[in-house]
Amino acid sequence: MTIEKSEAAAALDDIASIVERVKQSTFYRNAGAILVMWGVLVACGYLATYLMPARGGLIWIALHIAGTGGTIALLRRQRLQAGHVLQARGAADLRALAALAIFFGFGLLWSVVLGRMGAREMGAFWPTLFMFGYTLAGLWFGRAFIALGLTITALTVVGYVWAGPLFEPYMAVVDGGGLILCGLWMRRA
Amino acid sequence: MSGTDNPGPNEIIHQTLRLRLMAALTALPTGDSSLDSGLDFSRLKKLTGATDGNLGAHILALEKAGYVRVDKSFVDRRPRTEVTATKAGRAAFAAHVAFLKSVIGE
Repeated sequence: MTIEKSEAAAALDDIASIVERVKQSTFYRNAGAILVMWGVLVACGYLATYLMPARGGLIWIALHIAGTGGTIALLRRQRLQAGHVLQARGAADLRALAALAIFFGFGLLWSVVLGRMGAREMGAFWPTLFMFGYTLAGLWFGRAFIALGLTITALTVVGYVWAGPLFEPYMAVVDGGGLILCGLWMRRA
Repeated sequence: MSGTDNPGPNEIIHQTLRLRLMAALTALPTGDSSLDSGLDFSRLKKLTGATDGNLGAHILALEKAGYVRVDKSFVDRRPRTEVTATKAGRAAFAAHVAFLKSVIGE
């Protein structure tokens, strides 16, 4: 069996492309589980805020604590399942959590200290802040994140302007549902 | 020709789909842990762009060569076929990749 230089080069390209696809697929599957979890929490958060508007602040603080804890637990589980080769990703996981903390910090700075936002503005600000992060992350981690970020941002603006008193239920569907749908799609990638 | 110790091409692995299968399977962790380190049939199908019959035949060829292990189980009452690269398979694939690189002069 003889293999020409061009055939060898094509085979190596094919290998590189498959390896890239496996990495992307694995990343999407892991991220998908986290998105579904946040989608459920966010949908619950909007519905609870709609039903108990006076407790909105507490509800969202509790949900974000639960979400951050859940994210850490899922990342740990995924790292264990991946075996020792991906243990080097520990540093990457820490960076992901640091990124989450930076976003929360920035969001709190504007929603508590600098911004003068009402409940409706807060309800639009937080998802668009996180979708901004997803869109940026998509430049490195895959176009699905860009599509998710831009779509939910656009739908949030639409709801902010036109959903009237049903803004929270609308956001439960759009933001929570969008995260769940995207997460499920990623799980199948 | 199955070549962990052969510097030439590995004819079993070099076939396009089998090359893709081995590339996908060896992109995963080594499986030294007792946890999941293989890919299931449907995911392999998506990743390699193969059809059911084609994929099954080539997995069988790799299994016969001792390059992959096939585990069948039921998950949520649905059959699941998981394919994992063996140590010999990883070594053979690495040797074949080294050979391909030597051909292009890397």
